[in-house]
Formats: sequence, C-alpha cells, structure tokens
Amino acid sequence: MENILLDVSKTIVNEAVREGYDEAIVITRYNYNTMAKIFNSQLSVVQKWVDYSIELYLAKDKRVIILSLYPSDIESTARLTLKEMISRAKSIQESPFYAPIPEPKRVEPLTNIYDSRVLDAIEDPSKLVELAIEASHRERIDYVAGMINLWIRSKTLVSSKGAELYEEASGMQTYLRAFSEPDGSGQWSYCSVKLEPRGIEETALIAADYAIKSRGRTGLEPGRYDVILSPMVAGNLIELVASMSSAFSMLMGMSIFMKNSPGDIVASDKLTVLDKPRDVDLPEATAFDDESTPTFDKPIIEKGVLKTILHNSKTASLTGMETTGNAGWVNPHPWNIVVEPGDYTLDEMIREVKRGILVTNNWYTRLQNYVEGIFSTISRDALLYIENGEIKKPVEKVRIADKLPNLLRNIDGLTKNIYNIMWWEVSIPSKIPYILVRNVNITKHLL
Amino acid sequence: MVINLRYICIAENVVKFLEDIVLLAVDYARRIGAEYAEARYHKISSEELFSRNGDILGVGKGFEEGIGIRVIVNGALGFTSINKLDRDSIIGAVEKIVYQTRALSRCMKEKIVFSEARVGRSKYSVVAKKPFHTVSFDDKVKLHRELWSIVSRAKIESKISVFILRYSESIEEKIVVNSDGAFIHSITPRLSVMYNIVINHPEKGTMQKWEQLGASGGLEWLDDWRIHERVDEIATSMDNVLVKGKSPPRETIDVVVGSEIVGLIVHESCGHPSEADRILGREAAQAGKSFIKKGMIGERIGSEYATVIDDPTIPGSYGFYLYDDEGVPAKPRYLYRNGLINEHLHNRWTAYVYGVESNASARAMDYRSEPIVRMANTYFKPGDYSFDELLEDVKLGIYMKSFMEWNIDDERWSQRYVGLEAYLIEKGELKEPVKYPVLEITTKSFYSNVDAADKDLKFYAGTCGKGEPMQGVPVWMGGPNVRLRNIRIGVVE
Repeated sequence: MENILLDVSKTIVNEAVREGYDEAIVITRYNYNTMAKIFNSQLSVVQKWVDYSIELYLAKDKRVIILSLYPSDIESTARLTLKEMISRAKSIQESPFYAPIPEPKRVEPLTNIYDSRVLDAIEDPSKLVELAIEASHRERIDYVAGMINLWIRSKTLVSSKGAELYEEASGMQTYLRAFSEPDGSGQWSYCSVKLEPRGIEETALIAADYAIKSRGRTGLEPGRYDVILSPMVAGNLIELVASMSSAFSMLMGMSIFMKNSPGDIVASDKLTVLDKPRDVDLPEATAFDDESTPTFDKPIIEKGVLKTILHNSKTASLTGMETTGNAGWVNPHPWNIVVEPGDYTLDEMIREVKRGILVTNNWYTRLQNYVEGIFSTISRDALLYIENGEIKKPVEKVRIADKLPNLLRNIDGLTKNIYNIMWWEVSIPSKIPYILVRNVNITKHLL
Repeated sequence: MVINLRYICIAENVVKFLEDIVLLAVDYARRIGAEYAEARYHKISSEELFSRNGDILGVGKGFEEGIGIRVIVNGALGFTSINKLDRDSIIGAVEKIVYQTRALSRCMKEKIVFSEARVGRSKYSVVAKKPFHTVSFDDKVKLHRELWSIVSRAKIESKISVFILRYSESIEEKIVVNSDGAFIHSITPRLSVMYNIVINHPEKGTMQKWEQLGASGGLEWLDDWRIHERVDEIATSMDNVLVKGKSPPRETIDVVVGSEIVGLIVHESCGHPSEADRILGREAAQAGKSFIKKGMIGERIGSEYATVIDDPTIPGSYGFYLYDDEGVPAKPRYLYRNGLINEHLHNRWTAYVYGVESNASARAMDYRSEPIVRMANTYFKPGDYSFDELLEDVKLGIYMKSFMEWNIDDERWSQRYVGLEAYLIEKGELKEPVKYPVLEITTKSFYSNVDAADKDLKFYAGTCGKGEPMQGVPVWMGGPNVRLRNIRIGVVE
C-alpha cells in the first residue's frame, strides 16, 4: 500500500508543478473500515467502507486552492482538476493566510499505532458485538444501543518541498447506551489505537450501571449547583475549549480566547489540558501534520494558564509565531486531547459536594456568542442529585446554561482516574477525568 | 424557480456504464443470497469560496463519486461503499458485505423486512434559471468584496470585528437501483451562502450571528435572497440590540415567535420526533429516541392551529427530491394536523414494522452513507392573520425574530431558543429592543399555546445531522410568525 499511495502522490505533485502551481501538497488516504451499529440489543446495520481519497493544497502567486476528492480514478480526476483550477488563481487576490509550505524536517515515526488484530475484527466483528450486548445485560437492563467502529487508515503526504511521508494506523471506537425501564438510561464510550475488548466490556458495564441508578427520576429546581461533569460531559466541553485555542478560530470570531495571549490566566490552576498527537493510546495519534511538520505534545492550558495557541504555518506566519504541528491547511486543530488527572477518587469528589449534581452525559452544546462563551447544553441519561456528600436520587433532565470562562475558573477538582472518550459529542479522542465545577447555572423548561 | 422533468442528455456511454455497474451490484448480490439489494451511484461536485472581511482566503473544490450498496441477508442489514468502479472491485465489495452481513445475522432478534412499495422508474433534474457557469468566477469573487463593503460601512455604533462568508455551489447526481425494480436518475444543483457577523462595542461587549441561505437551483437565488440588503439589515439590527437592548419582562407575557425560530422549532420538535426509526430506537445511542411512541397517532399535541408539514417536492427547496433513495415517490407528509399527531416519516423498514406504506423519507448524504429516515422541508402551516393583527391585542409581550443558541433534549420534549433580534411589544406596537430573551419550553406547551399564525410563510436553509457516521443533508425549515399566549421568558445569566 505504501508504495502505491506514494507513487500516486508524487505523480500528482509533479503534475501540479508542471501545470504551473508554485507549491503543492498531496495527501492520499486509504480507509478500510467496519462499523456495527446496535439497537434494541441486536444489530441494526453493519457498514463497511473501502475508500481512496486525495486532498491537494495548491498555491500559485500566493493564491490558495484546496481540493478534496473521492474519485473513482484518482490520477485522471486530479489531473483534470489541476488544469481546471489554475485559472481560478488568476481571479483571486493573494490570500492573507498565505505562507510558504514548511521545509521538510525529520519526522520521528510513531511505533505501536498499528494492531493487526483490528484487521481481523474488521473482517468479522460479530464476537465484539455479542460481547457488547452480553456485557450490558449483566445488569438487569432492558436493552442496549450503540456502535463498534474499527478501522485501518493509511496516509501519504508528498510536498513540492520534498517531503515524502507515510503512516498506517489502526483504531477502534465504541459507545453504548443502556436503557432500564421505566426511565433509566446510561451511556459511555471508549476509543483506542489497538483492539481492546476490555474497553467494550467496561463501556457496557458503566452504561448499564448508570441506567440502573437513574430509574425513578424526580424533578430538580433550576438554580446554582456544584456540578460533577463525567468524562463524557467534560470531554464535550473541553473539546470545545481546546478547539477555540486554534488561531484560526480566533481569527474567525469563534473563540473565547480572542482577547487572550499565552500567559493569561484563563482557568482554575487545577486544570491542565494537553494536545497529545504522540499519545499512542488515542486513535488520532500521528507523527506529522498536514503540512509535513513533525507533531509534538504540548499544553494548551497549564495549571490554568493559556500556554499554546495552535498554529499551522499560515496562521503562525500571520501572527508572527511558529507552527505547532497542528495543520489543518485551513484550521489548525488538536489531535488528541488529554486532561491531566487530579487526586480525587469519584467517591471522594462526591463527598466534597453539599448540594449538586453528577451529570453523566450531555448533548447539543450550542453557543449564543463564541467570543463571550455564552452557551447551554442539555443533559441526557443518568443525572444524579447529590446532597451532603452523598448521591440521593436520580433527577430529570436539565441544562447547564452558563459561560465557558466561568466554568473554567470554577473547576475545583479532578479525579485520578481518566477515561478514553470518543463519541458523537466528543469527536476528538480524549483522556478525561471527572471534573468538579462549583456554582454552575442550571436551567430547565419554564412551561 | 422552475422544475423541469426531462430526460437527461449527458454522455450516453457514461450513463450506460454507470447503469450497468449499479445493476451488476444488485444482480450479483441477489445471486449470492441477498433477499434484497440496492445500489446507488452517487456523485457530488462542489466549489466553494471562503473569505474573511472581504479577502478570499482560498478556493475549495470537492468531487466525490462512488457506489453505496445495501443488502438484506438472513434478515440482517448490511451497507458498503466503494469508489473503485470496475466490475471486479464491485463484485468483491458485494461478496464481502453479503458475507459479513450473513455472519452478523446471528446477532438479530427480529429480522429486517422492507414494506411493499410501488417504486419508480424515472429520470429528472432541477433546472437552474441561471446556471453556475453563466456567471464568471470573477463576479463570484466580487460578491465577497461587495458584501464586506456593505457590512463594514453599516451605520452602526459598534465595530464589525469579523465577517466570514462562505459561498458554495454543488451538483448532486444519483442513480438509484434496487431489486424491487426501482430506477431513479436525478440531478440536483444547489446554492448555499453562509455568513458569520461579529460586532464589538467597547462598553456593551460583542454579539454574533450565523446565517445560512440555501436552495436547489442556480444563481437566480442570489437576487431572491436580497443578500446585499440582508447583511446590512442584520448588522444594523444586531447593533441596535447590543447598544439599546433591555432585559425581557419576567412576568407571564405573550410572545410572537418569528418565522426563523418557528422553522427551527418545527424541525426539532415535530420533524425529528416523527422519524419512525427514532421512535423504534434505531438512533437511540446517537440522536436519541422520541417522546412519540408507537401507537400515538391521533393523540393531541397542540392547538387547532398546529399543523406541520414536511414536503420534499417544494420547487426550489434546499431539501428537494421527487423520489427517495429507496425509489419511492415523494409527497407531502402531514406530521401534526390541527394539533394531532398525524403521520410519521417512514422508510421501507419502518413502514413494514408499522404496517403502512413508506412515505419516501429515505435519504443518504453521499455514496458512503446508508439511506436513513430524514426530513426534507418542514414547515408550520400559515394562518390568515397579518403580522400587525398578530401584535394587535398583545398588551405586553415580545417579538423574537431571530436566534443564535438553541438545543433540545434527546426525546425532543424540552427545548430552548435564545433570541438575538427581539423587541418588546406594548399595546399592540413594537417598541425597544430586548436582549437575549430565552424561550425554554416543552413541545406540548409550545404547540398548545399557539393561538394565531400570520400568512407570511418563509423558509430558512439548514444542514440536518443524523446517523452514524454523521450524515448532513440539506433541508428547509419554515413557517409564519406565530403567537403564543401566557409564556414565561427566561434570561441569560
């Protein structure tokens, strides 16, 4: 596979230069993927993908063109598109985001990012599906839904500056949602570079446990509460915050950090958030970014202080900084997110709460204003009321409706256990603890 | 906007080749044991121009084509996609998915069966009045500079910090074939313009508005949207609210909900909970379930004014289609009718479970996506009031014209919309702006408290997300302005 993809990429880069482009990067991807989806404790659909795709970054006289192609014939489609798009460059002005493609640097390959057992499971995932259903039903739940996703991905990157890079990685992801009548439900997720049936089993057990614990819900009055965010919820909100550390988000008016600089205090000193592309536990681990820059692990927020704005070469050039190995040709982004653990157990954390709630899952986080971080998100699944250090009862759905800067400042504790999280609402693989936040505004429908 | 149904005159040899390979996939799957087989050639080509404050950051071009193949084997459902379109690759892909679906069929408790359907054999295309190629690329670039010029010169107290504009045109072509005899060849061009305006005032802070305009057809829509006037109006109204906006009243009041918000509400709290696959639990771990349960047809959900229709066949609509991706002819679906739950959105599987006919709700985003139950163009049925008549007997209330933040729970019951452009109503007249009123309400309370709707039906474009992997499909959401009585409004703290 390596030679085939590299040859295609090199041919297209050469063709781009012949066609008159000053610079080109070609990323060619091969994706082999099976996803088994579960509902009502049975299979709903098995989906299998075999895709070749190609992405091209092209610059001509500092004008920028980006192509994303899933063609049936890569070379001829790329050739035709190169011809078609060169005239476009004459019609647009120099991109204010233009910067030369970085010179190739030595890339230290990642080891241990390919597990051949994933390939076997892609061919036949039935045992994993059976495990997910069986493990969920060890508790007295009624049914389980969810999915198991398994993939092998290869990518090559070739640039007109001479970079020639290849990487092959495996990955898996699962999330399960267990239901227990009349109103109990719990959801959890897991992700890994390697095939980890234990991860599926643990996901099933946690989801089922929360489903049982959340039966017989009663209402909760809106107001201010101390809130324990589960790794599922904290993962969703931290992903939003980490993505706002992208220089592009700031330039687009989509970040609470628009008025901040590295060195500013933006959160409680208990919070450290890292971008860890070289963490080979997490399935977006990669040795190089989309501009061929070697990746490296870095703090985004360290002990409450904003440490790193994420850059590609373009945003770095525009703001007088260095690339941080997070390209995205347009939008620099985190690869894998890790929140450093604290020193609480979950039970100890609950004992710290006089009047609060444990929010185990959420969805639909939306913002009124990205610059000020005004947002709300609605809980789903188990929501447990805590009084005087003990879980008292399950309660009905509420919203966290507050400002992200307030949430970050009011973090008062993290657990020592962290969890690999990835699902619909946490798209970047993340290692996240439970996080205690004080004095959070909680709302619910008024009518 | 004119929709012409006509036979498509693209290169006959290409069409013949594509038809042959989708038929090959279906025939071969049936020969090796699939009870049902379906193949969809699906191509989308697109071009995008992206600017910040009038400067083009780059040009984007997308092109994707391939075949999505779906089979039922031993009562289990399998889907695969491939973008190598030679016979051997397609036969290999069919063999693998049939084998894998058969292996996984042991995880089934209830077999998947599709309802009988009178599937179509047809070719159609949406014909643009002003096709994309009739306007030069230079003029499309110029649009970005013109709009920035208008926004940046708006007569406002605040400063425009950011104006992002994304112009996108696309053409989608599909050939859907299945083992029940469907053969549908369609071509749909679409236009979309999105913008983000951020204004900043030294004392009052910031305010932000995202908006998307979209339709099927061509560049004629740019005139229809009055986009130049529109961006100026939005910037001006945002400034008015930011500088002069007061807190909303805390007592129980009447609320006139603007058509932009009404469109979103019917999409979220009628369209989504009416998806029969969601009701049956197929999306339970993703988009969630529904407050509507099987057997609730005929139950009351709102007042007599609450009629919500989903209609894929509206000419020019962003969610336009005449046949769904299972080959079933499309028609309007009356989801809520005069306050009663009336009809759900069905594909052929949910129709079988319910013992009804599919109403053509199966859509797939691209060749890599399985067809699932989706909305198309969902709207609240207009009434017979004028806007002034809606306001006329409101003693104290607010008019919420637009929004930014919203969300709804995973059963589509408890929802929240935060107003952006909003005004106080006193004694039947619009008064000063109101900042960030919060409508946080249950589905039943919303529809039950509607006591009037005006005649002015407007549609808004969106990309609706559902499925795993996530599929975003184009939709319209619409409605008139509607009046709610006796509502408590919240505030942003």
